[in-house]
Amino acid sequence: MKKAKKFTAVFLTAVLAASLAACSGGSGSTSGSASSGGSGSAASADGAHLNFACYNYSNSMDPITNVNSSWCFLRYGVGECLFRFDENVVVEEALCDSYETEDYITWVLHIRDGVQFSNGNEVTASGVKASLERVYEAEANGTGNSTPSQYVTFSSIEADDAAGTVTLVCDSQTVNLPGILAYPWYGIVDTSVIDTEVIGTGPYCVSSIAENSTVELVKNEYYWDGEVPYDSITIYLTEDSTTKAMALKSGDVDLVENITTASDLEELEADSNYYVSTTAGVRLGNSYFNFNGVLANDALRQAILYAIDDTTMCEVTVGGMYTAGCSVLPSSLFYGYDQLTDTFAYDPDRAVQVLDDAGIVDTDGDGCRELDGENINLNYIAYSSRNLDEFAQAVAITLESIGIGCTVTVQDYDTALANQSAGSFDLITSNAIVVPTGDPTGFLGNFYSGNSSTYGYYSNEEYDALYEQLLTTTDSDEQLQLIIDMQQILIDDAATLVHGYYNSTFASRADAVSGADITPMDYYWITTEICPAE
Amino acid sequence: MAKLKNFIKKNPSFTVFLVLAVLLVAAAVFAPLIATHDPYEAVLGDAVQPPSAGHWFGTDRMGRDLFSRVIFGARTSLTAALALVGIIVVVGTFLGIVAGYFGGVLDAVIMRIADMMISFPGMVLAIAVAGILGGGIVNAIIALSIVSWTKYARLARSMVLKIYNRDYIAAARVTGSTTSHILWKYMLPNALPTILITGATDIGSMMLEIAGLSFLGFGAQPPTAEWGYMLNEGRAYITAAPWLMIFPGLAIFVTVVIFNLLGDSLRDVLDPRDE
Repeated sequence: MKKAKKFTAVFLTAVLAASLAACSGGSGSTSGSASSGGSGSAASADGAHLNFACYNYSNSMDPITNVNSSWCFLRYGVGECLFRFDENVVVEEALCDSYETEDYITWVLHIRDGVQFSNGNEVTASGVKASLERVYEAEANGTGNSTPSQYVTFSSIEADDAAGTVTLVCDSQTVNLPGILAYPWYGIVDTSVIDTEVIGTGPYCVSSIAENSTVELVKNEYYWDGEVPYDSITIYLTEDSTTKAMALKSGDVDLVENITTASDLEELEADSNYYVSTTAGVRLGNSYFNFNGVLANDALRQAILYAIDDTTMCEVTVGGMYTAGCSVLPSSLFYGYDQLTDTFAYDPDRAVQVLDDAGIVDTDGDGCRELDGENINLNYIAYSSRNLDEFAQAVAITLESIGIGCTVTVQDYDTALANQSAGSFDLITSNAIVVPTGDPTGFLGNFYSGNSSTYGYYSNEEYDALYEQLLTTTDSDEQLQLIIDMQQILIDDAATLVHGYYNSTFASRADAVSGADITPMDYYWITTEICPAE
Repeated sequence: MAKLKNFIKKNPSFTVFLVLAVLLVAAAVFAPLIATHDPYEAVLGDAVQPPSAGHWFGTDRMGRDLFSRVIFGARTSLTAALALVGIIVVVGTFLGIVAGYFGGVLDAVIMRIADMMISFPGMVLAIAVAGILGGGIVNAIIALSIVSWTKYARLARSMVLKIYNRDYIAAARVTGSTTSHILWKYMLPNALPTILITGATDIGSMMLEIAGLSFLGFGAQPPTAEWGYMLNEGRAYITAAPWLMIFPGLAIFVTVVIFNLLGDSLRDVLDPRDE
């Protein structure tokens, strides 16, 4: 009897285990076949199809919603601006094919003839005017979070449909208007249908969206700028970098953007089945110092800069995801990086000496140096985007080794930003495009004492004077010299901790996709350059 | 000595697991003697090196010795798990006994709060609480305590209710025993064996929950050596440098298995009715 019971128990357990295994196996194979079958059938039934995986920055594609939504409008190939940046970050004409200005205040832009929105409606001068006015109205009445007035404001926008021109009158002299109008906020939408859908002039248009999951795009039959290579595209919105890499390897997707895990990227680069395009981007990875705290002490900041080995951090800690540098403007851009002197280049012995000389020493033998009688414990806030948390940890570890206490708190982006605005930090990581409009003036303004309250309260009279001069200068040589001088002041003041310049990447399956090269300005992901492999 | 020998002979599995558990605790206590390197000393240039003679378990992405971090991780993980189990056992048992003995409004209030806690998925509520409190191992313990005490309260209450109407309790009352004496001398000892067995088997699962919270970023914060957090750190390297996940994962696995089996064998020791 006892034996029979035991046997029954063992038998039932075995059946249960087998059914569990079968269930899990079954669901795995189902999902596997569904995804591959999905892409396969789409490819065979509807012509060329691309599967693209990217991080989901926004569920909206309306330029007025916020920065990220406007970027998605351009990145997904749905919309375009009047101007765009080429691969050398030089602005070129797009929907506007020519322009005139005499005083940099009044600009007459000619809208390219024959351009149609993806719904077939014609792009007219009055349509462009309506689109531009809409983004400013949304900012003024609070229906959108985009802030186009940050770069330029207009006293009037006039459209002449007969001549096909839009006349923009700026409130002040705006030398770089084409670059500004290339920023995604100024993307042109069809305002006649904007209440129901976001329609632009890009090579693709949205056919359906599953929030936080997929975006389905189809070819824009009316595209003005050459042949559109794919009939349909599925964008898989994928948060995790390793997941993206695995999806590429398994063949679920053909193209992914920005693999941020160094080990995955290395594997893909080493395998000839994948094509990895990397570009020295226009993004600066840095940590802002808070000058309203212990880091107002010059010696302490200088010691930090001496102690940090950015080359090893860029090459080893974040596995080459960044290129090391000392200035706030990337070495790959044309802002005189070669003429700058790295005043506080890596020298750990010097770091210790600077601290000792300044009297920042450990008097009570607890391993932590004191400033004004109190142990230094820096509040370092980081968020996990683009390896910034890894930099923060590496910096903290390095600083601890020279007796500077440092506590890293990794927060989500919104919380970190709120703390940054409130000044509740000693150090805070940042990764930002330094030439959002093809011009670094705006970014250099973060260190202008009038604006620096959200960037750690840096202040330097000489820097302020140069910045004010830069705002009014129209001569490009003079602008360049001012920009170089300003960069050097920031370096000499140890104004910020520069980690390096982020390298943007695209990785694609070599047998499926060609032309998948990433551009330095990461407003553009899906373009007509990306096409099926021959 | 003969007694001890007899006990070991009678309870061989309990003895084995107790010895293993003591060894684990000893590894945590004597971590500085066992570890080959300082677990927080980073050589950034030596990041993500495979296991070798110099670094038995390899190095992590900050160039720290993984073996030393796993050994020191035992301190964090064991202390956190034991502290957590200690808190929920004491708090839960106290509230359960009080609710069961006094009944009425007190019972209703305590048990309804407990019911509310149970009606949420535990881990999700813990994530919410830890999210509000902010990251940190202490906050993780608080969050898990808030969601986990109910089991002990319900258990202790049911044990109290079981004996509440027994004659010897009535006798104690009639002979003038104070309430605290009855609670302390009759109610608690009656509930204690079951509570202790449950507590011992919970050490493993609580360790997993703490590691889970740390893995999700709500528990231990960098640069703490904690197994769950180390798993999270190694996650990005799962294909390129699997040792970053294997060794902390093994440490969690071994520890949880030992404490679970210890709890099981403790039941055999304390509850001879099963035999």
